[in-house]
Amino acid sequence: MKQTIKVLGIIAVIVGIMLLASMPTASAKLYGDANVDDVIDEADMTYVEQIIADNEEENELADANQDGEINLLDVAYIEGIILGDKPFPGGTITVAMIFFKETVDPAVGWTGWYVRKAGIYETLFANDENMVLTPELATGYEQVSDTEWEISLREDVTFHDGTPFDADAVVYSINRVLDESNSRHTEYDFIESVEKKDDYTVTITTEEAYAPTIASLTDPVTSIVSPNVEDLGTEAAGTGPFKLVEFEPAVSMSVERNDNYWGGPVKLESATFEYITDPQTRAYMLEAGEVDMARGIPQAEADIIDGKSDLDVISKETLRTYFMYVNTKKAPLNNVKVRQAINYAINREQIVETALEGVGGVAAKSVFPSVMPWSANDDLEGYLHNQTEALSLLADCGITDTDGDGVLDYDGSPFELTIKTYTTRPECKPTAEVIVEQLKEIGIKARVETRDIPTLREEVAEGNYDLALYAWGVAPIGDPDYFLSRHFESTGNEAGLTGYSNTEVDDWLDAARTTFDDKARWDYYKQVQEQILEDSPEIFVFYLNELVGLNTCVKGYVIYPNEITFLTKDMYNTA
Amino acid sequence: MLKYIIKRLILLIPILFLVTLISFSLLFIIPGDPAETILTGPGGGADPKAVEEFRIKMGLDKPIYIQYFTWLESILHGNLGYSYQSKRPVIDTILSRFHATLKLAIVSMIISLMISIPLGIISAIKQYSAIDNVSMAGALLGVSMPNFWQGLLLILLFAVTLGWLPVAGYGDHGDLEHMILPAITLGTSSAAITTRLMRSTMLETINQDYIQAARAKGLSERVVIGKHALKNALIPVVTMIGLNFAYLLDGSVVVETIFAWPGIGLLMVESIYLRDYPMIQGCILFVAIIFIFVNLMVDILYTYLDPRIRYETKE
Repeated sequence: MKQTIKVLGIIAVIVGIMLLASMPTASAKLYGDANVDDVIDEADMTYVEQIIADNEEENELADANQDGEINLLDVAYIEGIILGDKPFPGGTITVAMIFFKETVDPAVGWTGWYVRKAGIYETLFANDENMVLTPELATGYEQVSDTEWEISLREDVTFHDGTPFDADAVVYSINRVLDESNSRHTEYDFIESVEKKDDYTVTITTEEAYAPTIASLTDPVTSIVSPNVEDLGTEAAGTGPFKLVEFEPAVSMSVERNDNYWGGPVKLESATFEYITDPQTRAYMLEAGEVDMARGIPQAEADIIDGKSDLDVISKETLRTYFMYVNTKKAPLNNVKVRQAINYAINREQIVETALEGVGGVAAKSVFPSVMPWSANDDLEGYLHNQTEALSLLADCGITDTDGDGVLDYDGSPFELTIKTYTTRPECKPTAEVIVEQLKEIGIKARVETRDIPTLREEVAEGNYDLALYAWGVAPIGDPDYFLSRHFESTGNEAGLTGYSNTEVDDWLDAARTTFDDKARWDYYKQVQEQILEDSPEIFVFYLNELVGLNTCVKGYVIYPNEITFLTKDMYNTA
Repeated sequence: MLKYIIKRLILLIPILFLVTLISFSLLFIIPGDPAETILTGPGGGADPKAVEEFRIKMGLDKPIYIQYFTWLESILHGNLGYSYQSKRPVIDTILSRFHATLKLAIVSMIISLMISIPLGIISAIKQYSAIDNVSMAGALLGVSMPNFWQGLLLILLFAVTLGWLPVAGYGDHGDLEHMILPAITLGTSSAAITTRLMRSTMLETINQDYIQAARAKGLSERVVIGKHALKNALIPVVTMIGLNFAYLLDGSVVVETIFAWPGIGLLMVESIYLRDYPMIQGCILFVAIIFIFVNLMVDILYTYLDPRIRYETKE
């Protein structure tokens, strides 16, 4: 019995600790927001004046300078906040993020994506929330010749460590990417040299005419780093709105406001990122109030979160397209009509409604989501669900139900298709399963098989597949050449996997790459988008929606479709 | 005793050699190209030129046995290599992740022992009583309930609904508050097995003649059970606890995923997904050493619990 008492005693101690742990913590408030509309603007100055004149009731937030009195000093203080002379009382936020890296060096692999999300590093150019290419640390560029680009730089920027930002830092940073030891240098081997012209101008010379040159400088691997940091793997000095405070690999990263940010006052005082791999856990952390924001929440959880009064879910179409590689080297998939028939057999709306719970994506028309300026979706017809058309196309190729068993037959045996996919992206398997049911409806014997990514990749490379469902970010740097030349140009690596080759498409892609007039490029890419839709070497299924759950106190957050920018100077927390 | 330990330590060498050989060959059996996998960006796909270069730079184009011996040579110099993915030393990452796993394992083990040993003993002494039935039903439930489900239930109750404990995360370098839920999840499932074993070995022991003799001598029940019966009943239990602890030290992928605990189990799985060969090799070797070491500790503990084993080794 004594042991039982001991056990009970220990349980009591544990419960006690739990209670202690659950004590509330103090929270910041948006002091200066006198009219409580979650924004600090001139209306708040007027409001405080009204309070002083006794026309409005006093409230705590009107005491902008927090001296316990509401007077004209508060009006001046609010003006100071608006002008950026006084710090914005933006508070702090904690975010549950998906991926982490073991280093903070933006030039190592894709670490640049992750440190950019934290607002630490910036690039010469960047894509804004509408995927429009805009200067960031550059002020603009001039094309001197087909192969020479003169980029002018901002003159009012300093790095977090106090080093001034200039042409030397740009040459240093880009050369870190071009260095042979960098695993991504081959992506930039179109660059012959990067040279300083004067303190605030650099000249980039390319091997040959290459239209996406400027766009390629938006990839965060080309982040501009301070040349005076000893170990960029553990320390950081960028130009972004936030400075690195602490970084614990696989656990968390914390950043604080950069008071000298060139882009104007930064509203948030600090932010913490926690790296949580499990989507359900991220959702629970948000629901429990442990984090203020959670990226990539499960689609099934979106409604529950949105239904809570203090939480919101925002979603936006991203540049991530889910599509199937078609093995065009294998009969009968080598027949374009069979590929078109599969395209017609797929009911994309139904996939969005079922596999994606109605919130996870948007039915795809072609390769590029409509949020991308290069998308020709408005001019394309796409494949609307049409089983009759699918069956008649298949009948044209001799695929009919010859033995009357309800299953289509090809060459004397049932027409079978296997969709291979992977489970790391939660949308893949359910999507493949719905497609299988849709193919079964028209009599194709279909099934799903899952692999881990490297295994699937190897099988696809060996040609050991019919259809392979994948997800690709189709334009991380915003330029269409990246995806189209890899997937649809005969020499492209991915085109080698599907076995696709079309000399017209090759010519258009080559011309678009070496033409500098945007209108002319647009026309070429439109033709490519039309042609690949007709040839169907890949079957486009849907565009992924980014789902971010957040506390309603978090203001100023915008989803960037390229999944690269996250924390910005405009975000703040009113809690 | 010292001779015995030295003998065991020498035996370690061929075992570890075998471990490296098997794990290295396994990597070449599983499909997937490490170069391509590592160089695949968040967009998707890798640059073929970069893949080719990486293969040559990392020596992946060389025959397997040469790769193996190169690696073996470097570990003999105490260098586990550099991660393909982060370019950081493998041993640094393993040690920092193992630190997290070790902390969790110790707390889980304490929870497990606090539940299983007393409960097992009471159940045995009061066989078929209410407390026995309840604890056996609990043990059955503990064994059958999957860890991820139990973990999620605990999160829902204690973190989301009651708000007593954090949902997940490593907190301030793995503070107690963040450790309670994962430790309970791990601890209760290992307690379930240990309770049942404790109960059955205890039952076996208390029916032995020498226990009757001890009672007949007029010793108090406390001494009979606590000193005579328990020490004998503990031997198989210690083996089980040792094994359990070794498993806990390998890190539970499920629990580490749900609770976002940056342990070694998660590291291993992530590395396998990425085909980060140096990291996988390093983890396997490290875990093997831990496993062997824990087993050695258990064997040494035996000699304390059971003098017969000690005599045998003296001969």
